[in-house]
Amino acid sequence: MNKTIDQPNITKRRLFKKNPNKIKETLSDRIIHAVSVTLLIFFVILIVFPLLNYFSLAFNNYAFNDKIILWPAKLDLAPIKYVFSANSKDFWRAFLNSVIITLIVTFVSNLVEAMAAYPLSKKNCPFRSGILMFFIITMLFSAGVVPIYLLMRSFNLLNTIWSIILISISNVTNLLFFKTFFENVPSEIQEAAIIDGASPLQMFFRIIMPMALPVFGSCCFFTIVGMWNGYGAALIFINSEATEAMPLAYYLYISLTNGQAATMYDDFLRNYLPNIQAASMLISIIPILIIYPYVIKYIKSGATLGSVKG
Amino acid sequence: MEQNEELLVPKNTEKKKRRRKYWETQRLNLKRNKSILWFIVPAALFTIVFSYIPMFGVLFAFKDPAFDSAMRRGADIIGALKYSNWTLETFKSIFNDSFWLSLKNSVLINLIKLVFVFPLSILIAIQLSEMKNQKLSKLILIIICIPNFLSWTVVIKAWTSFFDPDIGFLGKLLSKATNGEIISYYEASFKPLFVFYSAWKGAGWGSILYYAAIMSIDKSYYESATIEGANKIQKAFYLTIPAIGGTIALMLVMMFSGFTGVGLEQLKLMLDPTNYIESQQTLDYYIYELSIGQGAGVSYVQAAALGVFNGLVGLLLLLGGNALTTKTLKRGLW
Repeated sequence: MNKTIDQPNITKRRLFKKNPNKIKETLSDRIIHAVSVTLLIFFVILIVFPLLNYFSLAFNNYAFNDKIILWPAKLDLAPIKYVFSANSKDFWRAFLNSVIITLIVTFVSNLVEAMAAYPLSKKNCPFRSGILMFFIITMLFSAGVVPIYLLMRSFNLLNTIWSIILISISNVTNLLFFKTFFENVPSEIQEAAIIDGASPLQMFFRIIMPMALPVFGSCCFFTIVGMWNGYGAALIFINSEATEAMPLAYYLYISLTNGQAATMYDDFLRNYLPNIQAASMLISIIPILIIYPYVIKYIKSGATLGSVKG
Repeated sequence: MEQNEELLVPKNTEKKKRRRKYWETQRLNLKRNKSILWFIVPAALFTIVFSYIPMFGVLFAFKDPAFDSAMRRGADIIGALKYSNWTLETFKSIFNDSFWLSLKNSVLINLIKLVFVFPLSILIAIQLSEMKNQKLSKLILIIICIPNFLSWTVVIKAWTSFFDPDIGFLGKLLSKATNGEIISYYEASFKPLFVFYSAWKGAGWGSILYYAAIMSIDKSYYESATIEGANKIQKAFYLTIPAIGGTIALMLVMMFSGFTGVGLEQLKLMLDPTNYIESQQTLDYYIYELSIGQGAGVSYVQAAALGVFNGLVGLLLLLGGNALTTKTLKRGLW
């Protein structure tokens, strides 16, 4: 690097800190800006405060529960230890159920939908619009809870995790996502692969899917979040006594409503009930926290994608 | 020119020709690309079994109560369908008082959502986009998205604990303000609270779409507006909102299509089983209780009829909302 070049102009320009040609912000604009920033910060506080206030319970001694504001008033790991002890077998059973449900649905659903989207993305697919309509109709109209419930009943799948898995696999939104992506894959690549003798199956798994990995990732991510947190299907298919088939969010909901009854003869449980509940809630969101960096990436890419376009 | 062409080729033959050409291409496509259709089979199977076969459940709505009793005794569906008679009575009986009450509550909750929560996401997105400090605005965005990724169980439990007069921060403040009187905030304020929770959970995440749309607006528009002397509010109303009109229309139509539902997961968590209040009764919950509830009030026939009603209303609202936005905003779903 040649450091001897002198740069009088640049240093001179730096003396002007403000661009003299810039239009000054009016007073009203500044007030509006201040108000909007304040509102946003208020919204952030509104989100962070209750969460910190609640999750502090997980690390707190029960006698000091009313002293908590933003962090534990008196550190006590007993609630966390209780969740990890043999007493919370049901909790971990539900945790395992949720893991199984989430993994199976995420893998199978996205693979199946991506496969279906591939031919539909091609102009020369026979009966393309008809098949597309066949999928979209299911988004527009559903017959309601009863037929699905009775169907699962006749399959003998009530009170098993399979009812939740099977009903969640069909996902037309992701199909449309994949279809839009595949439509934008350059046709030259596919033509080259065909000339090299690739069969449709090879083409899909060797060429299209590796290119679609980012889309596949974000679809998988949303499936994971939906399956981990949602329990609408569990509310329908799994009754409140079938603990062995509950997903985690549903188990937590049931244990909230039945929690009081279990504490009758146990002093430790009675005292620590809110703390133990908070601890199990905290542990239940750990998988989401692990993949949250992915959300941040997604948010940032979405936001910058906009600025590139503009 | 155009008139001449129309005169030369009568419309009918044109149509026929096009149709023949369509079938010809489909036939050729089928001949050449048959193998590619195998890719659709797994997804189509799942769709047929778990979306199309349940659609035949519409038939249950036209059955008499004998269907219910047969199902309750554990008969299979075909058997119960044979056992019971066809009738239209169910559709007369479902429109009773508790139906109208639940419909009214569902629509009211959604109206409150439409007025307060729907603009909130847009407002947040506009405010975020106007912030000068890009890093701070992204940090805020990341934080306000967190609640969307928590389950309803966590959200409602955290807030009930926050409102708790013994351990919750806000609850303690409130009970101090009312001299230790315990506030049962459920009774009068069920609907506002319901909407507040859903705003708390979803408004931040809802703003992302708008934020991305705003970011893709050409910056030079704003510069010229500034030179013309527009202030921030004017810029927001005459520049930003028209520019993201498409996104707004899309979200509006989506919201319309779900106007009779309020979300069963949230509702079940906020219900107080010992203390029934009228404003809790919504359509989702009513159908849920009719179809899966443990009590004697279970009636598959009525629940199926209500399900049909709900599905049709949702479809009509979607189509109607789409027609409305296409007409007024020139933008729609398709």
